[in-house]
Amino acid sequence: MPLELSIAWRYLAASRKRAHVALVSAIALGGLAVGVAALILSIALLTGFQDRIRERLSRDTPHLLVTPAQGAFLARSAALAAVIARDPEVVDVSAFVDGRGWITDPRARTALPVRFRSDAEVPTGEARVSAAVAGQIGVGRGGDVRLVGNRSELSPLGAVPVALPLRVASVSTAPPSASAAEVTLSPADARTLAGGADVVSGLAVRLRSAARAEAVRAAVAPRLGEGVRVRTWAETNLGLTFALRLEKVLIFVTVFLIVVVASLNVVSDLALLVVEKRRDLGVLSTLGASGGSLSRIYWWLGASIGAAGTLAGAAAGAAAAWALDRYALVPLPADVYLMSHVPFALHPRDLALVIAFSLAAAMGAAALPARAAGRVGPAEALRLSR
Amino acid sequence: MSVPVVRACALTKTYGSGPAAVRVFEELSIEVAAGEFVAVVGPSGCGKSTLLHLLAGIDSPDSGFVEIDGVRMSDLGPAERAKLRNERIGFVFQFHHLLPEFSAAENVALPLRIAAVPPREARRRAGEILERVGLAGRASHFPAEMSGGELQRAAVGRAIARSPRVIFADEPTGNLDRENAERVFLLLREVQRESGGSVVLVTHDPELASRCDKIFPMSTPGIRQGVPGGIGSPDV
Repeated sequence: MPLELSIAWRYLAASRKRAHVALVSAIALGGLAVGVAALILSIALLTGFQDRIRERLSRDTPHLLVTPAQGAFLARSAALAAVIARDPEVVDVSAFVDGRGWITDPRARTALPVRFRSDAEVPTGEARVSAAVAGQIGVGRGGDVRLVGNRSELSPLGAVPVALPLRVASVSTAPPSASAAEVTLSPADARTLAGGADVVSGLAVRLRSAARAEAVRAAVAPRLGEGVRVRTWAETNLGLTFALRLEKVLIFVTVFLIVVVASLNVVSDLALLVVEKRRDLGVLSTLGASGGSLSRIYWWLGASIGAAGTLAGAAAGAAAAWALDRYALVPLPADVYLMSHVPFALHPRDLALVIAFSLAAAMGAAALPARAAGRVGPAEALRLSR
Repeated sequence: MSVPVVRACALTKTYGSGPAAVRVFEELSIEVAAGEFVAVVGPSGCGKSTLLHLLAGIDSPDSGFVEIDGVRMSDLGPAERAKLRNERIGFVFQFHHLLPEFSAAENVALPLRIAAVPPREARRRAGEILERVGLAGRASHFPAEMSGGELQRAAVGRAIARSPRVIFADEPTGNLDRENAERVFLLLREVQRESGGSVVLVTHDPELASRCDKIFPMSTPGIRQGVPGGIGSPDV
């Protein structure tokens, strides 16, 4: 063990016997621990919610979306689907049709521009509408609506827009699609609205793991040739995933300020120890210790207090996050939030980041007293401590 | 002619500045040859401790210079000066100044640990030194558990840990009773004779001073001093 570390630990151990130093040390250590625990709980809370959103996104949106680079319809869709299906990570490849149109109630009193999309699970003649659509045109489950496409066909009366009468099979309340004006149709109805029996807007690909989307895209995209665009589920929800990341960074920075304030206690603790141990510093300097060596004693003190406070806070924060999630200690109304309790999730990477930043803050706080200790002149220290 | 272990030339030291400035001494010179045991005597406040601090390189003069073994202190940077203190100088304070959080053996081992001697080897050598100063049974005792005489003998042990060329002792017997003062003095005398090093001892005790090889007298501030033998009491 380096001499400086053994001196630092002896100082810490001995400080317990001196009430004023022990109190300041306890405040410094406790403050750091509370700050770190608060940071871990905040990050775990946010991660818990974000994991649920990502889980839902990866479940409700295709892991890979293959669309034409230009135009509305994908050419050679069957051949492309066969190429994609050969990748061992691919579980399912399904063609879909999507487009834009207007939805109205049966009396055409209210019209709303919507985005429609095919889903093989929806029976022909029925539609699944989002909560936003249901609310704005005033229909519910079992109600009748009329969906008008953006293309027209010839009739004895001239060109008329293609329109389909549909019955509302269900209303989707799941975020985030619930807030968008979206309608899901059977593939046959979607083709009728979009442009004909053979049209395909794109291919929706599902993988064994959503996390492998980037790797599979890199492997498959070159084999599909020109004129095809392949996007991962994170890219198709780019705005949302960026917002989630930004939210996490902002929460981290904001709550980390608690740790920064707690680190200021480390400054006062070490400054007190510099003054109290001035005579020892003079003696060590007389014995031949360099200014750098004296500084290192206080670096080690800062690191020791920082490590103790950080580890205590990390353990408490991690344990609290685990218990809150495991025993569902913060319940939520499931019909409103689609989850029965507030989720907490702590990723090892987040934990490591919190520990690293907290230690860095404590070490940064030790810089000033360490510098002061290194500059203590031996003669002055011995004279003043007589 | 051999190079003196300690050579100080025309040292001047002032504390403070402006009208409140106090000149401790002016143009003071001293030489200590290898193997010499020199007593520095003088009234309180004449600057004996300050002189020792300047000679040991833990303070700097306003003018003049100090050489240890021919190495001029003012030519060295702070780190080199610290290294020189560790290698060639031992210091015994009036108050033992042992670190209270460390045992007697750990205190004696401090100069060795500073010199990067491995902990196990430093402990072994500290044990030998404590035996030498008559504290073999006190190795694991902390300063709070030791008597004044024992503390000062441990401080002497710490000062000789690196076998220095010169030991500066700043009134090491000032706080001890007659018996313990005698033991500490004899200890310093013995280690000086065994090692062939030099000792510069500040003392108020005329009897102890008379048993040293030389006496370097100092007087009240402002009075010019000279090399031993030239000014003040004759050599003993």
